[in-house]
Amino acid sequence: MKKKSFKISNIFLAVLLIIMYIPIVVVVIYSFNASKQTIIWGGFTTSWYGEMLRDRSLLEALRNSLILGLISSAAAGIIGTLAAVGMARVDFRTKGLLEYVSMLPIMIPEIILGMVFLVFFSLLGLPFGMTTLILAHTAFCIPYVYTMVKGRLVGLDRSLAEAAKDLGASEFRVFFDITLPLISPAIVSGMLLAFAMSLDDVVISIFVTGARTNTLPIKIYTQLKTGVSPKINALCTLMLIVTFLLVFLSHKIGKKGTSK
Amino acid sequence: MKRILVLILALALSISAFTGCGKKTEELNLYTWAEYVPADVIADFEKDTGIRVNYTNFETNEEMLAKLSAADGGDYDLILASDYIIKIAADEGLLSELDTSKIPNWENIDPIYQGFFYDPEDKYTVPYAPGIPLIVYNPDKVSIEIDGYEDLWDPSLVDQVGLMDTERVVTGITLKTLGASFNTEDLDLIRQAGEKLLELAPNIRMLHQDQTQNALIQGEINVAFLFTSQVALALQANPNFKVVYPKEGLGFGVDALFVPKNAPNKDNAHTFLNYILDGEVGARIATQTYYLCPNKVSYEYLPEEFHNSLMITTEDIPEGEFIQNISSEAEAVHNEIYTAFKAALD
Amino acid sequence: MKPRRQNRIWLTIVPLYLFTIIFVAGPLIYMFVLSFLTRDEVWGVVNTFTLDNYAKILKPVYAQTFLESLKLAFATTLLTLAVGYPFGYFMARLSAKWKKLMMLLVVVPFWTSALMRMYGWIIIFQSNGLLDKLLMGLGITEDPLKLLYSYPAVLVGMVYSLLPFMILAVYSSVEKMDWSYIEAARDLGASRVQAFLTVTLKLTLPGILSGVILVFIPSMGLFFIADILGGGKIMLVGNLIRDQLMTTRDWPFAAALSVVLTVLTSLLIRLYRKITHTTELEGIL
Repeated sequence: MKKKSFKISNIFLAVLLIIMYIPIVVVVIYSFNASKQTIIWGGFTTSWYGEMLRDRSLLEALRNSLILGLISSAAAGIIGTLAAVGMARVDFRTKGLLEYVSMLPIMIPEIILGMVFLVFFSLLGLPFGMTTLILAHTAFCIPYVYTMVKGRLVGLDRSLAEAAKDLGASEFRVFFDITLPLISPAIVSGMLLAFAMSLDDVVISIFVTGARTNTLPIKIYTQLKTGVSPKINALCTLMLIVTFLLVFLSHKIGKKGTSK
Repeated sequence: MKRILVLILALALSISAFTGCGKKTEELNLYTWAEYVPADVIADFEKDTGIRVNYTNFETNEEMLAKLSAADGGDYDLILASDYIIKIAADEGLLSELDTSKIPNWENIDPIYQGFFYDPEDKYTVPYAPGIPLIVYNPDKVSIEIDGYEDLWDPSLVDQVGLMDTERVVTGITLKTLGASFNTEDLDLIRQAGEKLLELAPNIRMLHQDQTQNALIQGEINVAFLFTSQVALALQANPNFKVVYPKEGLGFGVDALFVPKNAPNKDNAHTFLNYILDGEVGARIATQTYYLCPNKVSYEYLPEEFHNSLMITTEDIPEGEFIQNISSEAEAVHNEIYTAFKAALD
Repeated sequence: MKPRRQNRIWLTIVPLYLFTIIFVAGPLIYMFVLSFLTRDEVWGVVNTFTLDNYAKILKPVYAQTFLESLKLAFATTLLTLAVGYPFGYFMARLSAKWKKLMMLLVVVPFWTSALMRMYGWIIIFQSNGLLDKLLMGLGITEDPLKLLYSYPAVLVGMVYSLLPFMILAVYSSVEKMDWSYIEAARDLGASRVQAFLTVTLKLTLPGILSGVILVFIPSMGLFFIADILGGGKIMLVGNLIRDQLMTTRDWPFAAALSVVLTVLTSLLIRLYRKITHTTELEGIL
């Protein structure tokens, strides 16, 4: 009885997972379509990959997106983690309000956030470009890291830190030797999620970017005006491969690390 | 998982090394829709002049203007956008007068595409892509003869019509069926159009900003109201499609280039304008964008079949009416009736 | 000694404090102020106080859009829960190795552009598209179905994009669950179903609720899904705000709509905290 139900649940997981990947697989398949029309299969070609690699602006957009995602998720990682650790320990009057307001960027429709960022940054006289992009992205990346770390801290056994402190370890040492290793999975998954969100954001980016910085999602989104070129399919396929490669590699390295 | 981040960092660095952000060179910041200026034209311009083009994109005209006013007419050197928004930008004082002495090819512009409301004295803009939206339908699937906007309301067309998701265009053609102008300020008339528009709802299969022609080609819809470039693409895919010049009156629109007030590289902007006004380059642009060609020298470079596929002659231009900016009260009513129309769909 | 230590911990909050005040509160206060101003004739805003923007929301046309949006958000949330709960639950019961792998498999789609994933659905759903060809090839249907540009298509797109949030939220609460309660219930004679309904469901309620919020909030604003898969026929609050900003150029009205939407979502979160007596959302948040 138990074994059987276990299998049914596995089938459910597998089927749903397949459905989740179907559209992605379709995008991958059509990157090899010789025809630009998605309704016609014009034969197999890899020429879109060549064209994509020759498209300088596309590669630049990719680079910008990666840099932007890295910096803003890193900044969010630092600010969010520090704050989560601190907020778990101190109480102050505006704590609830601060928490609420800092969460707002993921609650408000992106489009209005983009708009107010645009006006606000121009009010501050900031030059539009990577700086404004990073600020805006950091704003909506922090909530992901903060809540993840906070959730982890709630479930954390405080006695370990207390014991270390009783043994005379400094606040600093306790944080780095005990708390940080314990919450690092939450930090990393929060940052990974923040990175993914940043990598995918169009609406806010389109408002705060400058004359020299296109990001990849902007490129894709605005292409809808003239039709999605299979070049984009090709790029998405490559990104997917790289993602899987990264996941695979980190898995491998992780295994090596633990076995030693 | 931490390692994933490290690996991404390595990847980003290698890509940045790959694309290389080189030394300081002459630049041109061009701001428009994606893929609107053909990539090969930009590449050749860079090769010929050594000026590096930063091609950045917006999705809507309004986005562009919000950006441009936030930057106080700076940041960008050359902007390609639609007629009505250029008018607003001009009224906001965000345009810079062109120095035609730096544009020897200025003479090549067909004067029929000049002197419009957004730039009556031809001081600020270079027309890039003029067009007239038309009805296109598949006669094999449609039983009636379509000759105007009014026919879109025909009961036989239930769930078969595709329109562009542009408020003023959809409400505008409804006004036309009532014999009114796109730009009427008569609020009651606009409300009356709203009533009539609701009756169109059952016939609508989709409203799309872009790509409507693909839906027609693929048989998702059988009747479509399309921009000029989309008309050309649809006909190219299926020459059997019928093109209709709506009897109630034509619309007209121009996407044009202008240099913002505080553009950092105005000279380069002029160099670029001169480059694309070259007869041969103009023809290359027209054959890739599928809009009308505002360059009279380009005509001789245009392939024969290209002229035929468009079917629009310059004689039609004076008949076309622009969609212009109207009072905020009228605009608000337009929005209200369009929102009600959308709610009546699905 | 103690006050000094407290002071040092304070420092960790300073970055968030400053950042939030300058780059989050600042823009949002601007949004709030904007919602009480008047639009200029053609472009921009005039500094004249008005409540008209809020009054306008009550107009039937716009109120109905809010209602429709809420309806779609509810439908999306229910469906996501129906699919995501068992997924998260089963996932949490896998072996540690599989758990890790599944986690990655669920998150990886996030890393490809949401827009491209929607594009994949278009290729599948369009008439004479992949699904049509499959169905007609199997002889199940004769003519192409009109699947794209419909309410169900939008619903599928919404559920598809937001499902991972629900899965991860449920997963993390099931993972944390103390199974001894269920064993105890079973020992006391409860059937599997009874034990699930009385114990498991209750214990995973925080996860369910946080999943609900994580799905519900964005589903009010995901305008591009409604545009792409709904053929522009489905109007959500997100679309309305976009249109006010981008075509009607009525920024104050857009701001007012956003303020109402923000208040609405804040109330929901408050409700969530009341019900669960917790302050943080589980799973991703």
